[in-house]
Amino acid sequence: MSGPLIHLDSVTKVFSSRKGEVVAVRDFSLAVEKGEVVTLVGASGCGKTTILNMVAGFMRPTSGKVYLEGKHITSVEPRCGMIFQAYALFPWLTVRENVEFGPKINGVPREVRREESRRFIEMVGLEGFEDAYPGELSGGMRQRVALCRVLANRPDILLCDEPFAALDAMTRQVMQQELLQIVARSGQTVLFITHSIDEALILSDRVVVMSARPGQVKAIYRIHLPRPRGVDIQLTDEYMELKRNIWGMVEEEVRASMSV
Amino acid sequence: MEEKELDLWFVAVLGSAGLLFFLGLWETAVRAGLVDPYFLPAPSTIAVRAVEMTTGENAVLPHDIRMSATRVLTGFLLSALVGVPFGLVLGMSAIVRSVFNPIVSVIRPLPALSWIPLSMLWLGIDEQQKYAIVFMGCFASILVYTTDATMRVDPILKRAAMNLGASRLQVMRHVVLPGALPDILSGLKVVLAIAWTCVISAEMVGANSGLGFRIWTAKEWSDTGQVLVGMISISVTVLVLDILFRGLERLLLPWQRRGTAT
Repeated sequence: MSGPLIHLDSVTKVFSSRKGEVVAVRDFSLAVEKGEVVTLVGASGCGKTTILNMVAGFMRPTSGKVYLEGKHITSVEPRCGMIFQAYALFPWLTVRENVEFGPKINGVPREVRREESRRFIEMVGLEGFEDAYPGELSGGMRQRVALCRVLANRPDILLCDEPFAALDAMTRQVMQQELLQIVARSGQTVLFITHSIDEALILSDRVVVMSARPGQVKAIYRIHLPRPRGVDIQLTDEYMELKRNIWGMVEEEVRASMSV
Repeated sequence: MEEKELDLWFVAVLGSAGLLFFLGLWETAVRAGLVDPYFLPAPSTIAVRAVEMTTGENAVLPHDIRMSATRVLTGFLLSALVGVPFGLVLGMSAIVRSVFNPIVSVIRPLPALSWIPLSMLWLGIDEQQKYAIVFMGCFASILVYTTDATMRVDPILKRAAMNLGASRLQVMRHVVLPGALPDILSGLKVVLAIAWTCVISAEMVGANSGLGFRIWTAKEWSDTGQVLVGMISISVTVLVLDILFRGLERLLLPWQRRGTAT
């Protein structure tokens, strides 16, 4: 039996504070197949990050369940590797040490993890910076290190929480292309969060449009654009048609979220 | 407005000139009879006194410095050895924090000197009493500095580590400790100064060696020169220890030397 890799089964998350209760996500269901790239788009505060945090096991749903290959996720799940918007690199470790953090913690022998880290660092073009500290790198380079660090840990799924949002537009495009190449080469499953419809269209097999808070699935688009998707795909009619449709959906929700 | 960065050599020259000018003024004032040497001996007299106390048959100064420094470092290191791990635990667990907070809050406001009578009653005036004074004077501060430093570690780094497969203990060892280390070390630097206050005072009240004892005895004999030599020795010793501490900091935090912190 081969079910989906990730399965969110009518998940609801309620945050309670002194001011009262906020329903961040309501009755959210989604299945991500192995090898698929799925993107969640939606207005700010629609619960996208909450969903990712629940898949990573950082928080548990108030009701409903999250499964990884049929196994109920109840604590932090290293098989769901997370890339944070704020990079979250360890500033006291060099690039190489950051990349080797996961393998080292998990007892991978020194020579093996050295060889692995070398390969990943080379893959994202950071050779020569192995002994640099994160503080000495640019934002784009830091996010590459973060990507390496997660990949070196061989996760079953890559969770990306707006990883390129803090980068300038050009670095961002380069990073998107790099991620695409990595995904194409390795068949890595990805669950990606973004504000950018362009980013979603370039990367995804499916785009999930979320409603404003409480976050629910509003629509799912299957993206049949041919791969590899270079920058010029953005000029095709099919692309623009998709973008117009999705933007229409998202805009409604953004307006709804602002009028609250 | 931007101030210009001065060349290091130039700074050294200016500094020495300032010091020499000050000493010259002092020397002149004493020699001209403007100041009674009984109250304030000339720098040259103090220098001679310092040489007498360092070399010759009555060389007490090196021994005093050694005694005081040993007391400071022993008490301080013991305190850090217990206080830092304990502070890490307090910083990581809200439950442990809630249990110990009231106790720490009661101990912390006590000035280090207020421990002197109790410690003398318990331990007399031998070395253990000096270590105990320093330990008690430093402990609560080290605890609070470490707890605060631990709580300031970016929670996203702990998440990232757990996401990479780290256990709670590994998060503490590989993320919280190195993440809090810069703040812990700057805290320890402040506490080291407190440790000196403890030792000097304890030596004044009850001891038969050490810089505090030396100054106090010299006062009894109205030996102003010796008092001043003792004070200058304290200052120099503290300075040297501080420089060593900075070196240690640079050694332990190589990532803070280069680039900006993330």
